Amino acid sequence: MASTKTEKPPVVIDVQNVKKKFRVYSDKGATLKERALFRKRRAHSDHWVLKGISFQIRKGEAVGLVGENGCGKSTTLKLLTKILYPDSGTITMKGRISSLIELGAGFHPDMTGRENIYTNASIFGLSKAEIDKRLEGIIAFSELGSYIDNPVRTYSSGMYMRLAFAVAINVDADILLIDEILAVGDASYQAKCLNKLREIKRQGTTIVIVSHALGQIEQFCERSIWIESGEIREQGSPFDVHQKYLRYLNDRENHLLSDSADEESSTEDRSSGDDQGKGGSDSRGSKESGETADDGMRWGSKDMYFTSIHIENREGTTTTVLESGQPFKIVMNYKVDRPCEEPAFGIGIIRNDGLQCYGTNTVIENIPLQAESLGDSGTVVVDITNNTLIEGEYDLDVAIHKPDGFAYDYYRACLRFTVFSVIKDAGVMRLEHEWHIAEE
Amino acid sequence: MLQTIKDVWEYRSMIQSLVNRDLRGRYKASVLGFLWTFIVPLCQLLVYTVVFSIILKSNIERYYLFLFVALIPWNFLSSCLTAGASCIIQQQSLVNKIYFPREVIPVSFVTAAFVNMLYCEIVVFIVSLFSGVHYTPLTLLCLFLVMIIEYVFALGITLIVCALDVYFRDLEHILGILSMAWMFMTPIMYDISVVPEQLLPVFLLNPMASIMQAYRDIMYSGAVPHINTLGAAVLMGIVFMIVGLLVFGKLKRRFSEVM
Repeated sequence: MASTKTEKPPVVIDVQNVKKKFRVYSDKGATLKERALFRKRRAHSDHWVLKGISFQIRKGEAVGLVGENGCGKSTTLKLLTKILYPDSGTITMKGRISSLIELGAGFHPDMTGRENIYTNASIFGLSKAEIDKRLEGIIAFSELGSYIDNPVRTYSSGMYMRLAFAVAINVDADILLIDEILAVGDASYQAKCLNKLREIKRQGTTIVIVSHALGQIEQFCERSIWIESGEIREQGSPFDVHQKYLRYLNDRENHLLSDSADEESSTEDRSSGDDQGKGGSDSRGSKESGETADDGMRWGSKDMYFTSIHIENREGTTTTVLESGQPFKIVMNYKVDRPCEEPAFGIGIIRNDGLQCYGTNTVIENIPLQAESLGDSGTVVVDITNNTLIEGEYDLDVAIHKPDGFAYDYYRACLRFTVFSVIKDAGVMRLEHEWHIAEE
Repeated sequence: MLQTIKDVWEYRSMIQSLVNRDLRGRYKASVLGFLWTFIVPLCQLLVYTVVFSIILKSNIERYYLFLFVALIPWNFLSSCLTAGASCIIQQQSLVNKIYFPREVIPVSFVTAAFVNMLYCEIVVFIVSLFSGVHYTPLTLLCLFLVMIIEYVFALGITLIVCALDVYFRDLEHILGILSMAWMFMTPIMYDISVVPEQLLPVFLLNPMASIMQAYRDIMYSGAVPHINTLGAAVLMGIVFMIVGLLVFGKLKRRFSEVM
């Protein structure tokens, strides 16, 4: 076996069937009196946070752990850090481990930045000589300049975090564990941190990241592990895993929605079949879910409203995965309860980091719409002849509104879709272009 | 257990910086700063001298020195017992977030308290020289040995109490009372010779009794401690250290779940 896989780097993190339970006390008495007097109250139940997970990570790999809050991903990271011990199963780690879980551990406010570098770095297990060697690099990375010899209590929170991050990132660990930390300082400093992480990765450091920022994981990791209720649900390329994960979240969310507000606006309609949405949903649910803006994502008077929304690719199949440079259609079915004056349809495409990539509506484009011509129900299709979005994840907003903005039905992030591309270009959108290179 | 000791050794620079932080951070914002380390024991000595030579006249000669020689080492142990008990809880943000051998925290705490005691011992040493105590290389060697023994013993105790305290917070308060009782059970304010003969064997079960006796032999009487006294102290120190490591090793696994 070894001979056939000689090129593969060695396994540095080996997690075998790890289980972890927490005791949940209904009422935890921590004092003697409580323990002695209320023995019965101290009944506890076991909550299995991890129900047996196994995975291996090879040297130099970058792996993201994703999942909902409470799924066990942070517990997994804590087990890797050896802050927690498994109840059964084994974890084998090879090499020096550094964790970007707590930044600025052990900082003393009255001591200078320089002194605190020593304290903080020593907590990561660095010897005095090793810290001496890294000191200049850390100070440079923190961008603190002469402030480094001022007491830490005089620092702004941004300076504090920069110093803390600079130490943690310069530990030169073999394995780096990161928990949602890439929110340090301003945008430019964040970019610097990401660059530094890439450099560290290039040097062969194994990295495990827990994050809700799926985009960051996609940029950074070769593999994603999706943990769901203490078990590994899926692992593989971040792109594929996140796709499934998002769909799962979406489905479940809609499930919850439809439990409370019935199937009127359920995604099942849109994603699983394009036809049943049209005829299937009758008008009855519209009022109650209409006036109470369900979850801040959808609001409006609901005199007119969407019954289903989906995206079709060039073959006409309903999908949420699109390719750059190909045509696609946004298909929206609507229903009219009461005649509306001057209705307008609009769409918006928002990248998953909140950047609005494109937005338009029938008013802006001077497309006249008369209430009479819309009938009781119908279909609006936005035919996009060339998808110039670049690779990424996007939310689709759709709306029926008056020209002054009054919403009949405004549906924020009704669909999340993914665009992939063979060309890995950068920016917001692709400009139509050709290259002409000629020699003189 | 050997692995634990090896792990702790690898984190010696962490111990060093935690000790540093503790010692220097303590007086950082005060005007006199580090001088307080010496001022506090000197003032203590002054008070005892005044009280015991004017008000509570004792028939023990040079009572101030007699008391002081034992009181400083006792203060060290007592602070390990009371303040040391909460050392893990005090550092829970570290324990919950970062891996390092958990033993590092009690080791750093005891070491900082020990270094503090060493500074006080400098004062004691000078005072004893002025009071006419003679030191020979052998007694100095014994003094060094006794200090090491007390350190090991205090570390063993701290390992036990700080790990238990995580699970059971009342311990801090119980230990406050216990420490006071223990002080009176130990020949600090009185000489061991006043203890009734039939109680003596029980009395010597107290590890601090032999340690105190050894300090007093060296720094008050200027004599070499009896080999039995030293032997008992060494034995106790090692036993407590091993028990401490075992208890701590068992309890540390759930620290972060409980805190």
